[in-house]
Amino acid sequence: MNPEFQRNLWLELTPRRMILMVVLLALVFFATAVTTGADHALIGTLPDTAEFLFYAIVVVWGTRNAATAVVGEIRDRTWDTQLLSAIGPGAMTWGKLFGSTIYNWFGGAICLGVLLSDTLAHHGPVQAGIDLVYYLAVGAISQAAALLASLIAVRRRSAHTRLDVFLYQVVGMIAGAAVWSIWSAADPAGSIITHKPASDFIVWWGRSLDSRGFLLASLAVFTGWTLVACYREMRLELKMRNGSLTWLAFVVFIGVYVAGFDAWLNDDKALHALDTVVLRLGLALATYAVLTYLMVILEPKDRVHYRWLGEQLGAGRLGAFWNGLQAWMVAYGAALVVAVALIARLYSQTRIDELALIAAGLGFLTRDVAIFVAMRGRQRRGGDLAAIGILIALYWLAPAIVGGLGLENLLMAFFPKTTAPIWLSPAVAWAEGIATAALAISRVAIRNSPAGRSEPSRA
Amino acid sequence: MIEVTDLVYEYPTARALDGVSLKVAPQTITALVGPNGAGKTTLLRCLAALEVPYAGRVTIDGLDTATHPREIHARLGYLPDFYGLYDSLTVRRCLVHAARAHGIAPDAAGGAAEKAASRVGLSDRMEKHAGELSRGLRQRLAIGQTIVHEPRVLLLDEPAAGLDPQARRDLSTLLVSLKDADMTLVVSSHILAELEDYCSEMIIIEDGRIAGGKAVKVRDVERPRYLLEIATARSDLKEFLSGRAGLDVIEADEHHALFTFTRNPGARAKLVRDLVGAGFEVSSFGESTKALEDTYFAQVKRS
Repeated sequence: MNPEFQRNLWLELTPRRMILMVVLLALVFFATAVTTGADHALIGTLPDTAEFLFYAIVVVWGTRNAATAVVGEIRDRTWDTQLLSAIGPGAMTWGKLFGSTIYNWFGGAICLGVLLSDTLAHHGPVQAGIDLVYYLAVGAISQAAALLASLIAVRRRSAHTRLDVFLYQVVGMIAGAAVWSIWSAADPAGSIITHKPASDFIVWWGRSLDSRGFLLASLAVFTGWTLVACYREMRLELKMRNGSLTWLAFVVFIGVYVAGFDAWLNDDKALHALDTVVLRLGLALATYAVLTYLMVILEPKDRVHYRWLGEQLGAGRLGAFWNGLQAWMVAYGAALVVAVALIARLYSQTRIDELALIAAGLGFLTRDVAIFVAMRGRQRRGGDLAAIGILIALYWLAPAIVGGLGLENLLMAFFPKTTAPIWLSPAVAWAEGIATAALAISRVAIRNSPAGRSEPSRA
Repeated sequence: MIEVTDLVYEYPTARALDGVSLKVAPQTITALVGPNGAGKTTLLRCLAALEVPYAGRVTIDGLDTATHPREIHARLGYLPDFYGLYDSLTVRRCLVHAARAHGIAPDAAGGAAEKAASRVGLSDRMEKHAGELSRGLRQRLAIGQTIVHEPRVLLLDEPAAGLDPQARRDLSTLLVSLKDADMTLVVSSHILAELEDYCSEMIIIEDGRIAGGKAVKVRDVERPRYLLEIATARSDLKEFLSGRAGLDVIEADEHHALFTFTRNPGARAKLVRDLVGAGFEVSSFGESTKALEDTYFAQVKRS
């Protein structure tokens, strides 16, 4: 057995705790059963109670345990010992993910037993099977998201407060809530998100697909990507190197996946004049821009690593440079490639206004990314918050002041805007981008002098 | 067994290790000493493949830490300066888990745990929880976990910190026995006295570099260190000693001299006779009991 899983079994699944879980759940189910239909009913029917308890135990409590699986070891100073073991990244990931939450899955299995036996009796084995896959996926994806959030945070800093752990838990719960919401969008009883009757079909890449089948497949694929992300973060924690190919594969996947939803934009009158290729490229570009912002915020902006990357590039070691690229760099590169394709398409259709907006948008993306790198390069703590503050000032505060003073012509210095002449907005955006990038690179390149040192003790 | 070549490690605002090169021979105990913040822990973590160097190469038993970190993790033992234990597990389960985590088969893990417990003197406490142990016993358990897979290389960061004198002595005995059991040990500390009992080599780290450029021998059975004191100051003491065959002066002033010389009693008697004959008023002559401390300060002065 996986030694990490075994250790968690020793700690989590003690006979006393197992008996406690069984007794407590049995009491709740018994109370629900005897009060169903009465005025003083506890929650509702037995399946409702079982579902509520499943979410509470597996999603809410489980994400907490997943979030503390590694962070707790760092806090208790046992993580170095774990790092110096022979356990591989795959075994360590599933040992941590399912080991730390094994008690939650024990309780969740009892709830699922009650829930699915009701589904089996009333809706048959196929529906029970589909529900089983959904509940397992919602539990796994929420717990994996919480573990992933904690692993990303571990690379950014070593100290983690209770509030930090709560935030990692929240990430997991949001992932669970997203899965639940999207799943309910295809619920025959009606969508929780849109409050409209659910559609039986989803149009994706021009094809009509069965919505429940499509969502189930999407859920499985995204669960897989989340587990892959956990595995790759664990590899980094174990001091192994990750190449950029897997991340590039995800970037291509997510671009293709999102670009397929162009039919959803047909209702937008502002986009009516644009053809399908432009819409799809635009969706992919927007996805990559969001991914770039997300990853540049999440990843550690390590000056030493950036200097090392610069040295590899300077020495012509392109393989090492490529494998050392951070995720935001690959996403930014993908945004550039798709933007060039989009600009070429718009140029061929002589849609110059849209072309200029896209070019200006890229300039501002470059500026914003450089702000994050420059701020983190200057101060180790609070750099990202300072960068977010600057972006709020640039996108909201400064335009409000400029607009209030009646200087609308200057707004193109803050976000993409159609100007006359048409090239002015892209030129200003790229000038800002290049200047900020130069500042960021200079801050990364500067080495500070070593700190003072004390004498050894003779005692 | 351990080979480091031009190792550079950088923190965002400072270079912690700057071109460190060293070799550690098999079955030795090497002290890694230096002031606080000199780079000892960073170097140990680089040796343990827990930090990725900016430049340079570290090999452990022929494996490069950059390309084979997990293989190295599996075959070495590392005790950090601040370690933790799974307080809710018994000593037996702590050791069995450590054995399993280091790739020992399930049916052999129990035996490995028993052997490690015996080595660190915890055989009679196997069913106690780690959280119930005293500080000294926790230290033993931590070392037990570190050696349960019988690593070829053992790295210890400040292992005696906070231990009482008896526990320190037990630790010394244990480390020497591990060396005799074919392990190679590197022990980091900034307290020289605790390393005195068991180290044969010393690496001094200062400002991210090795003082003197290489490891120095602390204890040489054939050529020990001697400390000479004379009652009346003589400016030619160093010159007199330096001119004698087989004698290497480490440091000297007008009253004292520290040097290496043969253990042969006849040669030592002749040296004292010659000193007295040359008019030096010898007030004290004997083997230095602070070999490590003397070497450290002599080396630091030189660099």
